[in-house]
Amino acid sequence: MLLELKNVFKWVQQGGQHVFLLKDISLQVEEGEFISVMGPSGSGKSTLLNVIGMLDDFDEGSYTFLDDPVHLLKAKHRANLYKQYIGFVFQAYHLIDELTVYENLEMPLLYKKHSGSERRAMVADMLDRFNIVGKKDLFPTQLSGGQQQLVGVARALISQPKLILADEPTGNLNSRQGEEIMELFRELNDEGVTIIQVTHSEKNAAYGRRIINLLDGRMIGEGR
Amino acid sequence: MYKNFIKIAWRNLMKNKGYSAINIGGLALGMAVTLVIGLWMEDELTYNDYFGHRDRIALMYQSQTFNGETGTGPAIPRPLEMALREGYADNFKYMAMSSWNNAQYLNYEEKSLSRTGNFMQRQAPEILDLHIIKGERDGLREMNSIMLSESTAHALFGEEEAIGRVIEVNSEHDMMVSAVYEDIPANNSFHDLQFILPWDHYVANSEWIRDAEDQWSNNSFQLFVQIADNTTMEQVTQAIKDVKKDLNEDTVEFNPQLFLFPMKDWYLRGNFENGVQVGGRIKYVWLFGIIGVFVLLLACINFMNLSTARSEKRAKEVGIRKSIGSQRNQLIYQFLSESFLVVALAYGLAIVIVLLSLDHFNELARKEVAFPWSHLRFWGASLLFILSTALLAGSYPALYLSSFRPVDVLKGTFKGGKYSGTPRKVLVVVQFAVSVAFIIGTVVVMQQINYAKNRPVGYDKEGLIQLPTMSQDFEGKFDLMRSEFIASGAAIEMATSSSPTTQIWSNRAGYDWDGKPEGFQEDFAWTYVSTEYAKTLNLKIVAGRDFSKDFASDSNAVLINQTAVKYMGITDPIGLLLKDEDEENPDEPLKIIGVVEDMIAQSPYEPVKQGMYVFDKYGNGSFYNLRLNPEQSASQNLAVIERVFKEHFPDIPFQYDFVDEQYGEKFASEERIGNLSAIFTAFAIFISCLGLFGLTSFVAEQRTKEIGVRKVLGASVFNVWNMLSGDFLKLVVISCFIAVPIAYYVMNGWLQDYPYRVVLSWWNFALAILGALLITILTVSFQAIKAANANPVKSLRTE
Ligand SMILES: Nc1ncnc2c1ncn2[C@@H]1O[C@H](COP(=O)(O)OP(=O)(O)OP(=O)(O)O)[C@@H](O)[C@H]1O
Ligand SMILES: [Mg+2]
Repeated sequence: MLLELKNVFKWVQQGGQHVFLLKDISLQVEEGEFISVMGPSGSGKSTLLNVIGMLDDFDEGSYTFLDDPVHLLKAKHRANLYKQYIGFVFQAYHLIDELTVYENLEMPLLYKKHSGSERRAMVADMLDRFNIVGKKDLFPTQLSGGQQQLVGVARALISQPKLILADEPTGNLNSRQGEEIMELFRELNDEGVTIIQVTHSEKNAAYGRRIINLLDGRMIGEGR
Repeated sequence: MYKNFIKIAWRNLMKNKGYSAINIGGLALGMAVTLVIGLWMEDELTYNDYFGHRDRIALMYQSQTFNGETGTGPAIPRPLEMALREGYADNFKYMAMSSWNNAQYLNYEEKSLSRTGNFMQRQAPEILDLHIIKGERDGLREMNSIMLSESTAHALFGEEEAIGRVIEVNSEHDMMVSAVYEDIPANNSFHDLQFILPWDHYVANSEWIRDAEDQWSNNSFQLFVQIADNTTMEQVTQAIKDVKKDLNEDTVEFNPQLFLFPMKDWYLRGNFENGVQVGGRIKYVWLFGIIGVFVLLLACINFMNLSTARSEKRAKEVGIRKSIGSQRNQLIYQFLSESFLVVALAYGLAIVIVLLSLDHFNELARKEVAFPWSHLRFWGASLLFILSTALLAGSYPALYLSSFRPVDVLKGTFKGGKYSGTPRKVLVVVQFAVSVAFIIGTVVVMQQINYAKNRPVGYDKEGLIQLPTMSQDFEGKFDLMRSEFIASGAAIEMATSSSPTTQIWSNRAGYDWDGKPEGFQEDFAWTYVSTEYAKTLNLKIVAGRDFSKDFASDSNAVLINQTAVKYMGITDPIGLLLKDEDEENPDEPLKIIGVVEDMIAQSPYEPVKQGMYVFDKYGNGSFYNLRLNPEQSASQNLAVIERVFKEHFPDIPFQYDFVDEQYGEKFASEERIGNLSAIFTAFAIFISCLGLFGLTSFVAEQRTKEIGVRKVLGASVFNVWNMLSGDFLKLVVISCFIAVPIAYYVMNGWLQDYPYRVVLSWWNFALAILGALLITILTVSFQAIKAANANPVKSLRTE
């Protein structure tokens, strides 16, 4: 098993009252799964993804990632965990505007202390694989949205994570571009990478082999 | 990794050229000010470092108490030397009696120079560790030898060999050059030691010095010593402090205390108040040090404020990096290395600024500070300076920026400016409080100088010159020269005096008069003057009469000043006799024939001292004082005077000083401080305004949309200006409230050093506050009005 959430609650204080963002979430994810998370706006999808990605805390319950009890770990240890195993893909791409495509791809490797030659090889691999060798010296603002998201996915993949978390990865793309990204996810999943994506589109959700529905922070059912 | 950091930092700098210019420019200015102050402080603190044995060199000092007032100084009597040599020799490695530093004429062939130097005993070259270039170190052995500094030798002989040549000193004595020594550098107590003549020569050629050999009360000499290797200054002082008291009964009532005044204290800690060492210049060294740190702080605040204000732009990057695996301390390193880059660039610029301005600074501060390119220590200090500035400026932004949580900032709703608003405001308040305090300080210094400058001096210093007449050539020539100068039409009156008009060279005690209080220990400023002295100076006689040739008895007459009348406690001074208390060999009594108005001869910040102007029956005058003919221009007068002078003294260089300029010298030190603080204040204000300018443009940019909406809804330009400027004005007002009491406290303390001082008035402070507000309004308004006038349709479309 890759990760397991047990009875996870998350709330915020508002006017002396608890406002629940996540309510009693229990979820098991096996390695190699492809999960789509759906639900209306404000239902807690991003919150759930951030909790899984360890970017956000929760208030109750337990979270185990590869046998490590995430809720008990120190911040630094947690950062090491996700640095090693988790890659993020964002709706707004979130590339660093001041860095070129090449440098954006290189950045996660810098934090993982790969040697210079290793980095060159790995970045060259990615550029090759995503067919963006010609774009390597351009800055993000010089790319189309689809190309930017391609770089975003490449960046998430470059450190060879076990799990990719994607929050509406196609939200800002047209349908053809979105389809490309989804195809890419399927390929990756076939290679063994676990993927959890949030999406509003039934069509994209169908790429997942399991669908989780949220409403008001609560899981209201699973489908396949 | 660091390459990546620096790359990002560089691209950020390039992308926001305006902010970068403000950031780097402001920091560079701040660092340049700090650097210049640092170089100046280094120069001050290394004063006298030239001498190898500086830790073991001292000047003999003496404290004596008159009427409960203790005076301290380096003047000692001659018999002390013999007493020390006989009874205390093992305390000293070397001893050298010395005269004061005085100008002498050095003539060689047709060349005649006026140079300053001392008569000193034979061991002086050892004590001073002179770097002998040519000739012998023991160059004062022969009575008719002279040691010359390199530049003096060069001025006299050019490239020719100096050693063995004979020069004429004061057209009287032939002296043979025995040695040439390296010029003593400018930041040294002996920088004007341009020649050394043998002490024995001094003694042999002056009767009064010979007479002084057994006069314990004739404190007219100096004694330089190097202490023995196995002892300390304190131990020696302990051993010798009562030598004078023990050997001479007459001076016991003044409780003479001897002590060694170590060389390291001469320059920076040379002030004594009632016998206690109370610091001195060191005060200004630290004062400017503090100013330097503050100016740097202001520049660092700009950096902090602009970095955090723009955090919104960096927040996304922080979020991305964290979500990709960066830890917080890695981000802190990143931001610190960015501030390091900015600070390093600023430092490069600062060095350029310093190089361009160092000459001006030297002129202003009367320094010869050189840029220490070749000093390894300087570059070490520079690196430390860059690092600490980067840390000072970068820590807060680094901690702040790296604290963002990716979940917050990546959602896209993050408004960084809002969260960091309060610290930013506090920092702006600090900046302006410092600036306002600087303004007040500068205004007070300037005011004090003006106040003292406007103090009536008691005589007419305009159109008055003085010529030094210390050589024997002038003896007996007074009447002749007076009539020649007046006949030439260049001067309308002339008198001699034994000291310059703007100084007191002699003080005397030992007089008795009718009605003198029991046990009164008198002390008078003492000047020999010729007839027409009062007339020449336009010094008003308030009672009695001036000297006159018509009264033969005037050879023992004296004029006293108004303060002396009060000091002596007498009501009817005219005709009073001042009797010499010396019982064995008394001089004839002096008769007071007149009272003159007080004239400032010493510090313009202190009360005038009780003084006597004694008729100069011996012709001892050291100066001719000439009242120039007001009908002609000064240059015309001077040309004529020089011609007449040269007719009578062809071998003596024509030298003169304007008395008003000499008087102006008394303000030089305070004026220098005033000018420097004015300049540093200007920089402080400029740097603060630069920061404010950056902040306003940031706020205006951040609120472009809001301003657009308001304008569409009917806001006027004034409304918008008010909205943007009001906040900053409020902050500046708060700064004023903080700065005023602090500045008042500090400046009031500074003024206490001056007995004659300006009263701090509210308008000083009002002026400073007004100035600060005005500057703020100007700075802020530029951006505010620009934003207010922007076309709302355009600014709304940018979204
Ligand atoms: N820090 C917070 N304080 C208060 N409420 C919050 C906070 N963060 C999130 N919420 C609320 O939690 C709910 C879930 O937010 P979340 O971003 O997870 O929704 P979502 O399902 O991703 O919606 P969308 O499809 O619009 O992206 C929302 O109602 C949001 O307003
Ligand atoms: Mg969402």
